[in-house]
Amino acid sequence: MPDANGWRALPLLALFLIVFDYSLGGLLAKSVNGSAGLTLQYFKEAWTTKAYFRVFVDTLRVSLIATVVCVLLGYPLAYWMRGLPERRRAAVMTLVLMTFWVSILVRTYAWIVVLGNAGLVNRTLLATGLIREPLTLLYSEVGVTIGMANVLLPFLVLPLLTAMLRIDDRLLRAAASLGASRRQTFWRVFFPLSLPALGVSALLLFMLSLGFYITPAILGGGKVPLLGNLLDTLINETSEWSLAAAISTALLAFALAVFAVFLRLNRMMETKS
Amino acid sequence: MNRRDFLLSAPAASLIVASPKAFAAGPTSIRLIDSGGTTGESIAAAYIPPFTEKYGVRVIREAPSSLGKLRAMVESGRINAALFELGSSTLAQARELNLLEKLDWAAINPDPMFPEARDDYGMGYQYFSTVMAWREGNKAPQAWADFFNVQRFPGKRCMSAYPHYTLAFALLADGVELDRLFPLDVNRAMRKLESIKSHVSVWWKTGTQPLQLLKDNEVQYAVTWSAGIEREPGIRSTFNQGMYDIAWLVVPRGQDPATKDLAMKFLHEVTVAKNQMVAAKVLPLSGNSPQLEGLLGAKAFQSFPTAKANLQAQFKQNAQWWQKNGPEVNKIWSNFLLNA
Repeated sequence: MPDANGWRALPLLALFLIVFDYSLGGLLAKSVNGSAGLTLQYFKEAWTTKAYFRVFVDTLRVSLIATVVCVLLGYPLAYWMRGLPERRRAAVMTLVLMTFWVSILVRTYAWIVVLGNAGLVNRTLLATGLIREPLTLLYSEVGVTIGMANVLLPFLVLPLLTAMLRIDDRLLRAAASLGASRRQTFWRVFFPLSLPALGVSALLLFMLSLGFYITPAILGGGKVPLLGNLLDTLINETSEWSLAAAISTALLAFALAVFAVFLRLNRMMETKS
Repeated sequence: MNRRDFLLSAPAASLIVASPKAFAAGPTSIRLIDSGGTTGESIAAAYIPPFTEKYGVRVIREAPSSLGKLRAMVESGRINAALFELGSSTLAQARELNLLEKLDWAAINPDPMFPEARDDYGMGYQYFSTVMAWREGNKAPQAWADFFNVQRFPGKRCMSAYPHYTLAFALLADGVELDRLFPLDVNRAMRKLESIKSHVSVWWKTGTQPLQLLKDNEVQYAVTWSAGIEREPGIRSTFNQGMYDIAWLVVPRGQDPATKDLAMKFLHEVTVAKNQMVAAKVLPLSGNSPQLEGLLGAKAFQSFPTAKANLQAQFKQNAQWWQKNGPEVNKIWSNFLLNA
């Protein structure tokens, strides 16, 4: 039961129910509402059309790769930040947060300048003679993944750093005093303690990336359509709203399943700390 | 607006709502949803000022104008735009979905205009062409057969992500005659497109993309709108085997009579040749007046889609065919693109 303070959240809850959940209900209704009563035909169509299924698989793959890239970059970054003196950590934190101040559109377009045929990366590589033909970085899955990882990274670093800061330094010192090398201390004490937070943040990232639209639209050149882009086509161009509703519902169900795992991990983390 | 302003303005607002006088005066503004970009700017420069001057009614523009947006507006019953821009095949689709208000041509009382721009449910307000363009320094293609020939014309391509601006060109490249294009042989077009697919870097969704990609040397050959190319240094294009099409203004269904009346008055301004000349300065595209070529002069008009020589070199988009076959082709097409 909510306490006295909790009741104050009721207006907000009501707002959510009306504005968000009510419309979501409409979406669900549209996905099963055929011309002759209830039907699963749209789900069937979404499932059996090879192209749509492929977009679903592509979305999962790109999301997964972007998440892994973020973990590989973000974990060392957060670990390094944890070891900094407080003022310098605040400064680095500002740098990480700064990407939030720049519109996602601007950041995405900036990648065109960096990754294009005549972009920064290719020009440098060509000038140093490492390659002869420009690499295809833009308008491909590589470009989309890089762009997504860029947008997602702060969402990993922030919660991860918070969790890492909660890890008691005395545990690490105890391990050292018992003769563990720095490497052993990290892998056998620090890393396991940070693992639940890493899992939770990674899942959060994965869920976020399932809904990406702008980045694949701009950096994919129309060749790396993810679910968001497919839905845009179905809603705005071909006007197949029931099919779009069915695909959205399936995506929502999938995200909820991932969310259930997220909640479990979160609970595990809380009981541990 | 801070809280105090809000408290102060709230009673004032309710007064306005309650006052029958204010209501009887009719709308003080109407909304127009256009496709944005330079097209929107040309509307803002050419047609809105004379309308506002005559009737004292402001026009608020919004972009972009997708079929989905129109459908959501009409089906939800919250009609918040008096005018809406559509392409020729989306016009046909919108008619089919019963989303449009019938135009009152007597009330519009148009100046002389091309008869093909006059529809029961829409006014063709802008002629635009889809053509081939390339970067200088690359071999100049003369026809779509050249554009599709990646051995003799090496380079990356940029083509439209919409089948309406792609399929016909593939057929021309495969040897179909200009006047025998429609009905389109979809399978033959798709086979031809398969052959060039791996050379297409980008499938564009907005008309500004191909020009930018040509400028950045990201692609060397592109399918693009004709407007604005001749102003770009280093980019060449030809109207040869190009396609011209008409963009339409429509009125979403469920309009209150006062607003619809204003929409008709606005559409009249769109037919005035003098106003179209202003639009042509912003964007070298033709309005619906046959007098435009005479007014602007043949020389200034040669980069316009409806210049005589250009019309002869091109074919006209067939919206009726697309209306009938659009849904089917869209399925085949999205399969093709999604597996790109």
